[in-house]
Amino acid sequence: MKPQNKLSTGRHQEQAAGEQTAAANSSALEFQSVEELLRHDAAQTAVPPEIARRLSQSIAQSRSRRPWWRKLLD
Amino acid sequence: MNQTCAEVHSSAAAESQLLPAEISALYDAHSRAIYYLALRFLGDAHKAEDATHDVFLKALRNIKQFRGDSSARTWLYRIAINHCKNVRSAWHDRHVLPSSDNEFIERLPGGDSPLHILETKELGERIQRALDGLPAEYRLLLLLVSDQELSYQEAGALTGQSADAVRGKLFRARKAFAGLFAKTE
Repeated sequence: MKPQNKLSTGRHQEQAAGEQTAAANSSALEFQSVEELLRHDAAQTAVPPEIARRLSQSIAQSRSRRPWWRKLLD
Repeated sequence: MNQTCAEVHSSAAAESQLLPAEISALYDAHSRAIYYLALRFLGDAHKAEDATHDVFLKALRNIKQFRGDSSARTWLYRIAINHCKNVRSAWHDRHVLPSSDNEFIERLPGGDSPLHILETKELGERIQRALDGLPAEYRLLLLLVSDQELSYQEAGALTGQSADAVRGKLFRARKAFAGLFAKTE
């Protein structure tokens, strides 16, 4: 069992080392242009969900403040 | 608690369902582009949140004036650019020294060669620092043309110049950005 364990440990180490190399490689990127870099950055940038929540509240507030005659016209 | 990017996206999609029908489709389709433009143009996440909120509120108030002469994306960009310029003139220009010195840009070493990124950690911060060093016009042009939904002609219409002028300025903007970006390493 022990040699198997050793082999298994060795494989784990190799696998871990391989994963580290892959991770290092995956973090290195090349962009052909500034625009490509900015597109990548935009794709990584999430819109905060608070914006939609605030927008929904603002719309509700502005609609409740409208005079009755304006509501009839819309 | 840290949220993953996918969790933030699904959360944002769920939030947009709270919006009235006439604005929710616009918000779903364009909020990312508008938020990104505001974020990188203003260089501040809180100001970008406020700006995105205000842009969509203005869009809803003026939705009857949108005649479809341009794309909805272009129409929203126009509102966003005006809004962000007002925010900048109210605060940014009083606090940040302008960097539109042509000689300074000429001295930057950047060129058309590919940009190699060895470490993606803090990439957004590096991009922001490089953009902050550019004149506002170059920053805006780079952000607009990086959106594949926008042609050079549309970017020119949004910034009040011809497509050829956009091409000419982009050459210098790319060079300046690459030089500034290299300095952020």
